[in-house]
Formats: sequence, C-alpha cells, structure tokens
Amino acid sequence: MQITNIHLIASLIALLVITGCSSSAQVQVAERQFPTVVTKPKAVSASIIFDEQFRGYVAAPNKKTSIDIGSAQTTMLGNAFKGLFSNIEIISSREEVSLDNALVITPSVQEVQVSTPSDTYLNVYEVWIKYSLDIENSDGDQIDSWFMPAYGKTPDSFMLSKTNAIEEAAVIALRDAGAKLLLDFYRIPSVYNWMLREQKLGAEQ
Amino acid sequence: MNKIFVLVTAVFLLTGCGATTTIDEYRPNNSVMELNSDESVVILGRRDAGHYDTDREFISCVAGKMKGADISVMPEQQFIDAIYPWFEPRTAPKGLKRLTRLMQDPDIKNQVDSQRVRYLVWLDGSTQTHDQGGSISCAIGPGGGGCFGYAQWEKSSVYEAIVWDLNDFSEKGRLRVDSAGTSYLIGAVAPIPLLTPVKKDACSSLGKQLKTFFSVKK
Repeated sequence: MQITNIHLIASLIALLVITGCSSSAQVQVAERQFPTVVTKPKAVSASIIFDEQFRGYVAAPNKKTSIDIGSAQTTMLGNAFKGLFSNIEIISSREEVSLDNALVITPSVQEVQVSTPSDTYLNVYEVWIKYSLDIENSDGDQIDSWFMPAYGKTPDSFMLSKTNAIEEAAVIALRDAGAKLLLDFYRIPSVYNWMLREQKLGAEQ
Repeated sequence: MNKIFVLVTAVFLLTGCGATTTIDEYRPNNSVMELNSDESVVILGRRDAGHYDTDREFISCVAGKMKGADISVMPEQQFIDAIYPWFEPRTAPKGLKRLTRLMQDPDIKNQVDSQRVRYLVWLDGSTQTHDQGGSISCAIGPGGGGCFGYAQWEKSSVYEAIVWDLNDFSEKGRLRVDSAGTSYLIGAVAPIPLLTPVKKDACSSLGKQLKTFFSVKK
C-alpha cells in the first residue's frame, strides 16, 4: 500500500515537472471593452477595411506560442479610427467602399514577436506587433503604406502564468497601437499632403 | 545543540527582518494641499523606462495607505482609461510643460475636469534584488526529504513621488523613499524563510507621508 502511494506521488511529481517545464502557450486575447478615445475627429471621411484575415488573425511568433488577437485588434483599432475621422465606415472588403473623397485604409499585421524571461533574462514578458496600413484614396490610388510598430510589456513576471503574461503584454501592445495611430497618423507626410490637396486642412490650419 | 540552533534562529529573526527606510521630502512651502470634498487624487506609475516598470501592485498599495481622512483616491486604470490615449506609456506627459500643452486641448481638459481629479501623483521606481549569497539544496527520496543550507539576498526599493496640481499645472512637492533590507532562507530539514518586507515598508512609509500632504476642505 505504502509503495503504491510512493509510486503515485512520484508519478504526480514527474507529471508536474514535465508539464511545468513545457513552454507552449495558446493565448486568446479575450474580447474586452477597450476605452473610447478622447480626441476630436477631423472632418475627413475614411473607409476602414478589416478583412477576414485581420478579424481572425492568430499570430504564431514561435513554434510553441500562438496569440489570437484578431477580435481584440479589430475593436481597439476600430475605436482609434473613430477618433481620427468624423465620417467613417468599417467594412470587410474593397468592394464595399461607399464613401466618396475618402481615405481607404487597410490594416494588416506584418509580424508579431514575443520575448519571455527565459529568452532575455529580464523579469518581463514583451510583445511587439508590427502593423502595416495601406492607405489609398477612393479611386484606388495608393497614398502610402505606413509601418506602425506597437509594443507592450508586463510590469514583472512574478506569479504570472506564461499565457496570462503574454495576454497582458499583448493588450498593452494593442493599446500602444491605438495611441501611436492617434498620435502619428496625421503626421504622415503623404497623408498631410493628401489633406492639403483635398483642402481638408482648412479648419485646422 | 538545540539551544544554539534556537539562539541563531532568534538572532536572525531579530536582525534579519527589519528594513531600513529613509524618506526625503521637498515642498516649496509647508502649506497643506487642499481638496474639495468632491475632488480626488490619482496615483500614476511611470512606465516609460526600458528596464523596469513601476508596478501596479505598489501603486495600489500606496493608494490604499492614502485612503482615509476623507481623501478620495481614484484607481489608476480608471483615470488612464477615461483619458485614453493621453496617459499611455508612449504619450504620458513627462513634464509640466507637456501637461500644460495637453490641457490646452479643450476635449482633454473637459474630460479631466469631468473626472474631478485635482492632483496627480507620479510614482517612479522599482524594487531590486541584489547581493545574493549562500546555497541551499533540497532533496526528496522514498524515506523523506528536506532542505539544507543557507541563502541570503538583499532587496532595495527606491521610489520617487511627484505631485502635480491640475488647477495651475504646477509641482507641489516631491517625496523619495529608500528602503533596504536582507532576507534569509535557512534549510534545516524544512526551509525557514526570514523575509524582510522591504517593498511593503517603502509603500507604507510613502503612503503615510503622502497622506499628510493633503487635506479635505470642510
């Protein structure tokens, strides 16, 4: 009886060691309420294309990690775009564009990178999301392709499971993406020039 | 033999668990910062440094220590969300000049005013572990298990608090807390931790001192 118990305990410990050392993580960034933005939108119309790939994007930064950010990034960037343009439509494909004299913006994810304490020997989890925004006018002429990196990290890794830590860092990176977009979008020289050409800057000048 | 062990443990308990904490305070004048009963203070952590973040747990701890005496402390995340994206790590004002410029935007000013926040307290700092020494090893076998050895490490907490007044966009005071102490882990079959609450001491001292800065108008 005693030997059976010892075997049972030894098996449990072995199981804990094996699963505890496994570093795979499937992270689902849960649908959440991202904050609405405090900005005054400019009198510009924009069609934002969140295609199926973007809406359901699952990043695989390495073999053992996957992060489902599709739904969360659609909500977050949707909020941010609403803070940039006074007239906006959020659509799924180029064919659905209905606004005239508008910007047509198609965001996509170029790359997602993750670093963990075991990679860097730092006491933090980090997530980088590299976005690309294809910006066109309503006639389909390209205005720019803007690279937009976002970064998030956990304050520390103490008592955080790898999955929770990566989710927390990803949420911070998504908030950073929203902040970067709101702060820098109208500073893109080609967008500024388009607004000058289309006389959209009258009120702001 | 047992007596020696008890004596050594008692010495460790007495000397090992005390943190040394120093607080430096600077205020342009000694007047208390007054708040209306419907106004509140918000404590925010600086998160723009590359190698550390002012952790949320410490900020909640300081906020907890400041509560009472009718001072209302708004939760950090609530304020950051209400004013998104202007207090994110990328966008948060680092100086009063930038804050003043931010508040010139009527939308942002209205939103801050609607939150009834009068004072911002910026907390910046971290707790570090260093000077680790000793060695402890644990083993388990069919006949039982145990830990043997001795380990020690030193922790130091350094935090600075800066108080900004949102009425006139001025700095009202600064506080700096330095706390340090050594913790021990003794392996005498069972591991006996003798932990020095360095961070807790820093939080407690900072919170209590900050509380003396403010008073609510009657």
